[in-house]
Amino acid sequence: MADPRRLGRRGSYRLGRMSAPPAPRTPWPAAHYPTWALRRRGPVFLWLLACLAGALIVAVGALAGWWFLPFLAGLGTGLAAHYGRLRLRTTLPAAVAVAVVGWGAALAWLALRDGLPEVTVARTIAALAGLPASAAVALAVTLVVAALQAAAGLWLGRALAPGHG
Amino acid sequence: MERRGRLAGRAIHGLIALCASGAVLALFAFGYGPVPALGRALDPGHGAWASAAGGLPVRSHTLTLPGLSHPVSVTFTSHGVPSIRAASQDDAFVALGYLHASFRLTEMDLERRLGEGRVAQLAGPSGLASDKFELRLGLLRTAQQEWAVMPRSSPVAQTLLAYSRGVNDYLAQARADGHWPAIFGLTGVYPRDWTPIDSLVLQGILTQELDFTTTPLDYALLERSLGPAHTMAWFPVLPPRGVPQSPYDPGPYRYRGIAPIAAQASAPTVTAQPAATTAAPGPATATGSAAGTAIAAGSVLHETTELPASLVHRYPDSNAWAANGRAVAGVSMLAGDPHLPQTLPSVWYQAALSAPGLAVTGVTVPGLPGVLIGHNAHIAWSLTDVQNQATLFYTEQTSPARRGQYFWRGAWRPMRQVHYTIPVRGGAAVPLTVDLTVHGPVLTRAGQTTAVDWMGNIPSPDLAVLLGIDKAADFAQFRAALAAWRAPTQNFVYADDHGNIGAISAGYYPVVRHGEPWLPLPGTGADDVVGVIPYRAVPQVYDPPGHVVATANQRPVGPSYPYYLGTTADFFDPGYRAGQIYALLHGQSRMAPAAFAAIQLSVTDALARRIVPRLLAALHGQHLSATQQAAAGLLRGWDGSMTASSGAAALWWTFWGDYLGAVFGPWWRAGKVPVHKDHAGLAVSAQQFSLDQVLEAWTVSDRGNAAFTPPGSPHRTAADVMRTAFAAAVAHLAARLGAAPSAWAWGRLHTRQFPSITQAPGLGYGPRASGGDAWTIDAADGGLESHAGPGWRMIVDWTGHGSAMAEGVYPGGQSENPASPWYTDQMADWWDGRYLPVPPAAGGAPWLIRWNMAPGGK
Repeated sequence: MADPRRLGRRGSYRLGRMSAPPAPRTPWPAAHYPTWALRRRGPVFLWLLACLAGALIVAVGALAGWWFLPFLAGLGTGLAAHYGRLRLRTTLPAAVAVAVVGWGAALAWLALRDGLPEVTVARTIAALAGLPASAAVALAVTLVVAALQAAAGLWLGRALAPGHG
Repeated sequence: MERRGRLAGRAIHGLIALCASGAVLALFAFGYGPVPALGRALDPGHGAWASAAGGLPVRSHTLTLPGLSHPVSVTFTSHGVPSIRAASQDDAFVALGYLHASFRLTEMDLERRLGEGRVAQLAGPSGLASDKFELRLGLLRTAQQEWAVMPRSSPVAQTLLAYSRGVNDYLAQARADGHWPAIFGLTGVYPRDWTPIDSLVLQGILTQELDFTTTPLDYALLERSLGPAHTMAWFPVLPPRGVPQSPYDPGPYRYRGIAPIAAQASAPTVTAQPAATTAAPGPATATGSAAGTAIAAGSVLHETTELPASLVHRYPDSNAWAANGRAVAGVSMLAGDPHLPQTLPSVWYQAALSAPGLAVTGVTVPGLPGVLIGHNAHIAWSLTDVQNQATLFYTEQTSPARRGQYFWRGAWRPMRQVHYTIPVRGGAAVPLTVDLTVHGPVLTRAGQTTAVDWMGNIPSPDLAVLLGIDKAADFAQFRAALAAWRAPTQNFVYADDHGNIGAISAGYYPVVRHGEPWLPLPGTGADDVVGVIPYRAVPQVYDPPGHVVATANQRPVGPSYPYYLGTTADFFDPGYRAGQIYALLHGQSRMAPAAFAAIQLSVTDALARRIVPRLLAALHGQHLSATQQAAAGLLRGWDGSMTASSGAAALWWTFWGDYLGAVFGPWWRAGKVPVHKDHAGLAVSAQQFSLDQVLEAWTVSDRGNAAFTPPGSPHRTAADVMRTAFAAAVAHLAARLGAAPSAWAWGRLHTRQFPSITQAPGLGYGPRASGGDAWTIDAADGGLESHAGPGWRMIVDWTGHGSAMAEGVYPGGQSENPASPWYTDQMADWWDGRYLPVPPAAGGAPWLIRWNMAPGGK
């Protein structure tokens, strides 16, 4: 047995048993499995609707010359994630999708409505940029620029959200 | 405590996120270094994607141009060739400026950037070398001075201003709707307003492409390596005897003295007043030393390798001929096919202009008002380059003790300095100081201080002349208009509706009283240009008795012409095309346009027809392998036709290259010719027209020439070397195309390609298997991957007074936008040798689309 009279004196640390009792072992938290069960349909539907609206705004903004809207969309998603208690694995694809669909829709709109030769223009852009002269390359780079904006905005939004961390 | 830690962690995370996302946003907003502002550049509604609007098919509509005074109508053919009908000449040129900018803005802006040293502003540091060279060379200084002294009330100034208004009307529209060509949207560097100086710079670019040459520097290096005797024997001034020549002006000639030299652009501002009255030069520099000359030559040549290939004159350019009398079915007929670097879009833009006092149709150069090649109501004309030497290099005498001075005419003179700042996209602006002497700008101080005196530094009222030609009604007016033409020197071939034909080699012919102008000259004064050949003494002919006049860059005069024009190296075509044209026209009667078209499309190699029989004779009785026998069989009975499917053509071209290499290669190696300093100008190749001619002459009439025997080798004759070269050629082709000569074809070796002017791979056309070579009338210059040749084929058939049937075609199309249906729509016709009707000068062509341009707006 340790001698309680030596507590606080030199060498008392050797007394062993006088340390605080170990915390009681708690069980591991139950694993969380995401589900799309019926009980979540309402919020998912709302989120999809919000994403579509966001993509529409990004598309219209692109046509108006507001090239930075994918960033703002990501920023908004990041801030909203705080209130919706959404995780990165949900918000990142959502923000990127809003940006990519938005810019893609703008290009498609121009090609379909005005009959603009976007495929040939994409080849031209790729060639002028020193990339392989393929329409797919220019299209991919364009959408990557939108996606990167959204990702950067999302990161900033999550970092600035109150209570984050 | 724990909460504080969490807060600190959050703050740090937030700061990192803010910095990183800010950096991404800033990169996309402003770009960094060579990376453009990708957010702006790739915005689907704007940026580069907005160029799609320029790719839409053109439709009829009404537009308002502030630059106009009266309404103008523009009708387009199905290939986009416009016919402008205006109430005044100024309005016609406003409309032309607007059309040029609408369809060729990238081309115009790139060309002016090239001449004004602003490529790096668009392309980044990769354009810096070109900018420095061009600012030294001085196209911008010449243009600025030309505009400064031009009376604003003169017709030319009014035309330049009207044209600029038209271009700027389009620029204002593009700024408003954002529909810029892709290159501007991508880089974020947009064109500034167009000025008359820009047009004058573009005129200078044409002069540089056609006449700026570094051949004297090559001569200096060759002379140092091979020795003066061999250099002048193998690169002679006059063609060797035995090589047929076809001067269009056969004489007789008279020496008519020397006319006063035209004022140089730099001369009035470069003081030639002595800075010191030293009677003798101070401590001598390396002036005159062969080593210094070689270093200076190597330095300048290295700089020229940084330029776009087209800016140093390399290849002969163009065919033009006219016939009258019994030779043609009508009253006279003219054919012209200028050969320039073949690009997409073409250097040409076709248009017809009609206004009171002006009715002209043909090809224009985007950036310049006026029709360069075409016809009006009474006369037709086409151009070929004269190729005379008008680039002279001077070695200035300098001294370390007298910085900023040079010794000229017995005294030290101060150099004038001009300072520039070159903007660089993605980098800091670069300062540049250019030194000017009385001879011209200093290009290098390496080894020696070398200045260049060339025709691009001489103001040339080309636009005034073109306006005069556009309105001329007969040869007298045509000739009078051309009297003022300086640069680039051009052979103007003429035919009119009264059945007259002619040609004049108008331009600048500097006369050097002393020295050897094909080499760098001492700059101390004795070897300066003292004047020019008088206009009445330049090559010209009117209604020749043979009813035919033809120019194809051959020496335009015979050997008895009393003035120096240039040497065989680079400055003149060997004459194979000209000889072939004269041969095909000789003795013909009642020729129709189809006959002229057949000549334009001829791919017969005249040199091959002279040499191949000698080669077969050399092979006769020799032991040949089976492959060699089959290869020789290809040549027997071959007519010299360089068609894409011809195996004989492939063998001939390979043989000729190997033959040149077998004869001259050992000498080059023994002399250690520094080929790496200027491969195009120094390497042994079929592009060295001097070597082609001397080897032709030796093969035909001097088969024992000492040059066939390399230094330290056993004696050889032409026949010996031909057999060696033949065996080498067969081996080369067997390795490249297979062992069976029956499978060989010229088109498997030789292609034509039309690169984009932006240099972007993927936006050009080709490479595509093609016939022709450098010496065929349908020329393909540039070696096995040809990139220069007929850029416009035109035939004008005068059938009576004021009545012409004209047809033409050029490779490419009217629009520079790769998405436009008019980008390459004429390519198939050009490739297959078909022609399209040229809209009449006075209008009235069938049209599909009409633009009504109204004055107004702001």
